[in-house]
Formats: sequence, C-alpha cells, structure tokens
Amino acid sequence: MNHLAAWIRTPMAQSLGWTLVHFVWEGAVLAAALWAMLRILRAAPARRRYALACLILAAMPAAFAITLAVIWALRPVAAGVPVHWVAAPLDGGPITGPSPRFMWAMILDRLAWAVPVWGVGVAFFYARGLASWAQVRRLRHRGVCAPSREWQARLDRLCTRLRIARPVALLESCLTDAPVLIGYFRPVILLPLGCLAGLSVAQVECILLHELAHVMRQDYLVNVVQSLVEGLLFYHPAVWWVSRVVRAERENCCDDRVVETMGDARAYAATLAVLEQRRALAPEAALAATGGDLMKRIRRLTTESRGAQTSVAPAASAAVLLVIFAAALTALPAKLPNVKRAYRPAAAPVAMAVAAATPAPQQSAAPMSTSYEKWLREDVVYIITEQERAAFVALTSDAERDNFIEQFWQRRDPTPGTPENEFRDEHYRRIAYVNEHFAGSVAGWKTDRGRTYIVYGPPDEIDDHSSGGSYERPPEEGGGKTSTYPFQQWRYRYIEGIGTNIIIEFVDHDGSGDYRMTKDPHEKEKASTPYRKWLNEDAAFIITEAERAAFLKLSSDEERKQFIESFWQRRGEPFREEHYRRIAYANEHFSTGIPGWKTDRGSVYVTYGPPDAIENGDSRTTRWTYRWIEGKGSDFTLVFTDSDGRGEFRLTNEPGEPQENVPPEDAKLSLRFGAHSVVTVLVPLGSSQDHFHVYLEITGNRKIVFESEVSGQAVFTKSIPLPVGQYRLAATVKDLDSGAIIRPSELSLDVVNGPRPAWGKASGREYGASSPLR
Amino acid sequence: MPKANQLPRPTDAELEILTVLWGLGPSTVRDVHETIARRKPTQYTTVLKTLQIMAEKGLVERDEKQRAHIYSAARPREWTQQQLAGDLLQRAFGGSAASLMLGALAAHRASPEELAELRKFLEEYEKGKS
Repeated sequence: MNHLAAWIRTPMAQSLGWTLVHFVWEGAVLAAALWAMLRILRAAPARRRYALACLILAAMPAAFAITLAVIWALRPVAAGVPVHWVAAPLDGGPITGPSPRFMWAMILDRLAWAVPVWGVGVAFFYARGLASWAQVRRLRHRGVCAPSREWQARLDRLCTRLRIARPVALLESCLTDAPVLIGYFRPVILLPLGCLAGLSVAQVECILLHELAHVMRQDYLVNVVQSLVEGLLFYHPAVWWVSRVVRAERENCCDDRVVETMGDARAYAATLAVLEQRRALAPEAALAATGGDLMKRIRRLTTESRGAQTSVAPAASAAVLLVIFAAALTALPAKLPNVKRAYRPAAAPVAMAVAAATPAPQQSAAPMSTSYEKWLREDVVYIITEQERAAFVALTSDAERDNFIEQFWQRRDPTPGTPENEFRDEHYRRIAYVNEHFAGSVAGWKTDRGRTYIVYGPPDEIDDHSSGGSYERPPEEGGGKTSTYPFQQWRYRYIEGIGTNIIIEFVDHDGSGDYRMTKDPHEKEKASTPYRKWLNEDAAFIITEAERAAFLKLSSDEERKQFIESFWQRRGEPFREEHYRRIAYANEHFSTGIPGWKTDRGSVYVTYGPPDAIENGDSRTTRWTYRWIEGKGSDFTLVFTDSDGRGEFRLTNEPGEPQENVPPEDAKLSLRFGAHSVVTVLVPLGSSQDHFHVYLEITGNRKIVFESEVSGQAVFTKSIPLPVGQYRLAATVKDLDSGAIIRPSELSLDVVNGPRPAWGKASGREYGASSPLR
Repeated sequence: MPKANQLPRPTDAELEILTVLWGLGPSTVRDVHETIARRKPTQYTTVLKTLQIMAEKGLVERDEKQRAHIYSAARPREWTQQQLAGDLLQRAFGGSAASLMLGALAAHRASPEELAELRKFLEEYEKGKS
C-alpha cells in the first residue's frame, strides 16, 4: 500500500490522473458533437452516420493519448512533483479550520487514487472481455450441428453475390436464441435450432444476408477494437453512449444492405419481428428484458426516409466537427505549439485497425478453400485469362484472393467509379439464366449452350427446331430436304474478336435435351450418319469440292449410296482398294488417343501413300521423304516429332522442334495441302493437356465456319474442301480449362486450280515458311 | 433410471447429439451419425456408444420396437438450455460476451411492450400483403 501511495505521486501517475480528469470533459464534448451532428444528419444514410460515430469513438482514445502526452510534456520538471497535487500543509491560514484552498488540495489528493482505481477497472474489463471471447469461441463447437448441404450451398451462393471470398460456415446451435455471427478469420453463423425449419427460405436468406453483411464490412474486427476502447475509457458514460450508437448504426447498415439485395424492406422487417417473437416463446433463464431497439429498426426499415439526404448536411457536420476540435484544443491546459505536433498520433488507432485487418501470419499460405475453387472453376472459368488464372492460383492467403477477385471484376467494370459493376452483374445473371434453362444431366453452365451464352451473351436470334423432323436445307448446306435431330441455331450479329453474323448450331442427338455444339452443319441430319462418316472420314482427303457439294445436295440415302458407288467407279477399283489399305495401315500403325487416319502421319500416309524413305533420327523424330508427289514436285521431306514421348508424332517443320513449348500466344496457322482442293488446316494449340474450343472461319466467295472441341491433341487438324478462289482464314482458339482466348491469327490464301496454293502474308508473317510442303 | 430433475449435465459430445436429436426429431443412430459427420469426421461406433451411454444416463430415450432403434431426446431443448443457462447461455448472452457477437437481433430480448408492438406490426404487414 505504501508503494502504491508513493507511486501515485510519481509524475507518470500524476499525469495519468490529470488525463483522466480532463477526459471527463473531452469525452463529453466529443459525445455532444456526435449528438449534434447526428441530429443534422438525421436523414443521412446509415453508413455515413456509422462512419461518423466510429470517427468520434476513435477520437476518444486519441484525445486521451494526446492529453496524456501534453500533460507529460508540461510537467514541472524542477519540482519533480506537481504543485497542485501536494496536500499543502498549513500555509499560514487560520488554524481554526481547513481553508477552501486546503480542501481543494485534499480533494485533489484523493483524486490521485483515481489512477489505481481506473487501472483495476481496465484490468477487469479486459479480463472479462478475454473470458467472454473464450466462451464465444466455445459456441463454435458446443451444442452445434451442421444444417443440410443445401443450406450451406445457399449461403455460399449469397457469399458469391456479396463477393465474400472468405469461407463462411453455417451451423445450428442449441445455445443461441438469436442468429449470431462469430469469428473474424473463420466466420461462423450460428442459427438457433429450429430456425431453418420454422422460417421460409426467403426469410432465412434475409437473416443470412444480414450476417454476411457483417462479414463483408469487417464488423467483427471493428467490434473488437470498439470493445478495447470501451474497456480503456469505461468510466465515462459518453464512451458507452457513443459505442452504443456505433452498434445501432452498424445494424442499420446491415439492414440497408439486406434491403438493397432483397428489395422488400417490409418483408425483411417482418422476418426480424417473427424472429424476435419466436425468441420470446422460448423460456429463458433469468435474463433481464432490458429491451432492444428492434422496434426502432423496424420503423426505420418501413418508413421511406432511408437514404434521403440533403447535400448541405455533410458540410455542416464537418463544420461542427471542426469547431468542436478547435475548441477542445484551445481549452487544453497546454501551450498550443506542442499541440499540432502531438495531434498527429490521432491517426494511430486507424493505422492499428488497418494493421489488424491484414491477415495474421498463420493465415498466410492458407490452402485455397472451396469457395475460391468454385469461383475459379465455375464462376469465371470461361472468362478468366490464362495470366489471371496463374496469378490467382499462386496466391497464398484468403485476403489476397479477396483482393484479387475484387480487382478482377473492377478491371471489367464498364463504368468504374460507380458502385455497380454491370459486367459482374450481367455475368452472374447469365450463369443464373443458363443454370435455369439449360440444365440437364449436367449443370446448365457446363453445357455447350450454357458456355456459349455465358461467354457471348444472349444470341440475337434463335432458330429453334427442337422438335426435329423435316428440314429444308439452305443452299449453303447443299439445298434439298432432309430430316434432322432436334437442333437450335443461334445467330449472333457480331462477336468481338470473331466476326459478324456468327451462327452456332446445337444438336440434341439422343433427345436428352443435352444440346451439343456442332462443327458440321450436317450433324443434325438424321439419316446421314453412315454417309456423313464416309464423307468426313473415308473420303475426307480425296473428295473434290464439286463432288462434296453434289453429295451434300442429296436428300435420300439411296441417292447417297449411288453417289458413293459412282465416286469409286470414277477412280477405279485399285484406287479404292489402295485407299482403304492406307486407312487400315494408318489406323493400325499410327493410332494413339485418336484414330490413326486422323493423326498427322496418318493423314499424310492416306493422302500420299507410303513414303519412299523413312529415317528415324531418334525415338522421338522420324523423317519421311517422298521423291515425287503428283502435281507438287519432287523431293519432299516431312519431319514428325513425338515431343512428349507418348507416341503422338506431330508434323513439325524442323527436326525436334518442340511443339509443346509453343506458347499459345504464338499460335499460328500453318496450312498443309491435301489432295485436290482439300486444304488441311493445322492449328498448334500449345499443349495437349488442355481442352480447347477451336473456331475456324474461312471467308471468301462463301463463308465456312467450323467449330470443334479438342482435347489430348497439341495440334488441331481440319481438312476443308475449298473451291478455287481467294480466302481469308482466321482461327480463334479458346482454352476451356483456363478460359484463355488465343487471339485470332489471319492469313489469306489462294486456292488455284490444282493442288498448289499461293501463300499469302498474315500479320507480317510469311506462312509459306511454316508449310512443310514447299 | 435417475429422476427427471436430476439428469446429469450433458458433456459437449452429448450436447451435440442432443442438438441433432432436437433438430431432427426421433432418429436412428445412422441419421445422427450422418448429421454429425457433415461437420466433422466421426466414427459411427462413437456415436452409437455415446447414445448408449446417454440412454443409461437418461438423457435420451430409446424406442426398441423397430429393428433400427430410434433415439429421442428425453427433455425438450428449452429444459436443457435452462439447465445449461447458468453455465454458458447466461454468460454468453447476459454477460459481456453478447458484445462480441454480431447478430440480426439485439443481445437482449424484447420487453412485453415491444412484443405487443411487434405483433401489431406483423398483423398490419400480413393485412397489407393480402
């Protein structure tokens, strides 16, 4: 006790004591300022009022710290002990009774004991806070059970909508009687048992949205800081009042958020009322019904004044704030020159809050949680670029991922600066639309139509033949009549990066509603399957354009059969035999993941026959030499490389050229010439690991569009019969796994009479050089 | 069988099972296990053993009429809550812990007057809707 009595007379304790005394009026002034400003800002949005209350609450410990610093700096150094605090001994006054001055000194002396009392109080509040925190933590594990998966899924969807990337868990608890949110790094929403069963889905979603709004606004963290301030300045009622205002406005902010998202303020208010009523029905052990302010919130929600605001108000409140601060500063028992410098630390609490908001060390290297995975693999899979994807995967903490997602959408926001992000909203609308309309055995967003819709938006026109049946072929498909599977044609007037008047066809081959995108306009034709195979496989490399066109005009299988017979008759039986032998040979020797005739070596073999010489450089390279090719000239060497050792030999220009290492950005078209006027297009894809969607557009006398999905191939190969003429060829490749779009390369090409094309230039690059057949 | 008012206070593991039973109503061990396993990996036999112990303590009742025994909580949730209130609930909600949680409702319950006002509001709302 003696130690303590001695300590309270040290300059430190004395300064602290005076600070406590001064804070009595400082706190009152700050609270009064808040009160006045809130009256001016009565109609302001809750978030502005909340920000103001937070500012005042932060100003309180700041004022305390500044006062302490100033008093400490001004302590009478010589005496060591401030004069005021000395219980003045008899100072020559009358001995008959204590003088008023002596009384004052006595009071001040007693006041010095306020410091230890205050210290005990702070310790008490902090200890209690710590104990409460431990209890609240237990609520995560005690008396809880997980709700059904749909609820967690609903919560995840809401998270996505609010752009909350942190995983939020949902649990039912038998120990809470109101929905609560606990935890900052791993937030958990606890709902009272029976809440999910007793309320409608929309009502529960309102409640969840409210809690998620807390998560989004980092309220939990602010609340902890707020509790620390309360504990430090517990002795001042103004602090508690301001803190209560902060809490009330915080709930209002979240209420506003719910209403913004859900739209119906009255329904939400009713939900809160129902919840409170349900709570009242449950018996409860001796809790004082001190009365919340729910009715106030309900009134606020159901009256119209929310959000209305005059433009004068912020200026007025700022003015009031300025005046108050100026008054407070001059009133300080200090020389003002010190004040300006000392005032800077006022920013400290803010800085502290920011520092706390950055993830704690143990959060770093957090594995990607399911909600982020989902974001990457579902939400944005078709629109994220390769670079963005790589960057996102490399992130190590959830805070970084949150930030990344925020930035991701911001980059695409057509109107940056406005709170709305039209791009994001439209994207999620599309996802919702396709999931609703195109879902079948797989989720709507995974279907071909879903993907197309998400990437390119609603088509300008849909030609719906979902009942299939008879179909008048347009002239470009060969004319005539045929019968088809159910199919849809989507027409886009313009797609950026691809072109104008794009028609995409989807065919439902098995009537399951699962429409697949087709590359071939004849895939929808029912009767043609074996004949289509003949056209696109058997005779793919040898049929002339004129023959092909004639074949496509046929409308009955009988006619097609006759056509095929005469096709072979024109070429003679030995030709036919040799041709099928080549196909069989190719299928036997060159098949890997794909049929042998389709491989690079297979297509060369089928078209040109066995090479005159085969030279195996090493196990990965083989050179084929043809001494003479009809119509092309003499001495051709073709180099095939098996770049990944899986037996898939690709046609490469130079021996050992690593096809796999071609970066997708450099993807270029190389053209190879087939027999007659069949042009084979090779599109290097850069990787045989991924799935690609290849879109080829050839424009000239007529326009031909091919689309195909490719996987397990490093080069996309397509043989296209072309009549004589001039063409431009453009290819767009999309990596379906990463969403990266390889920018279209264009080149022009002349198909002249005979097999030799004239190579044109595209983007300043000589494509002739990349042709293996010179 | 202990008297109803002398039921032992449930342990954490028992409380979790009670929570599931209150939520689902009378359930088989399999149902209970499935629900608990959603939150954390748990062995079926652990749940079974705990339920058997709880039945002995009188915390749950066992219906053996069917092949799969049906368990139900012996006391309603509110009863147990009251029993636990001195331990956790009151401290959590009456004490300062309330200020550490964020919720759509205030930490304290509404007064009877407020409840009356709420009821009036709800009635008006229902009327306005129909």
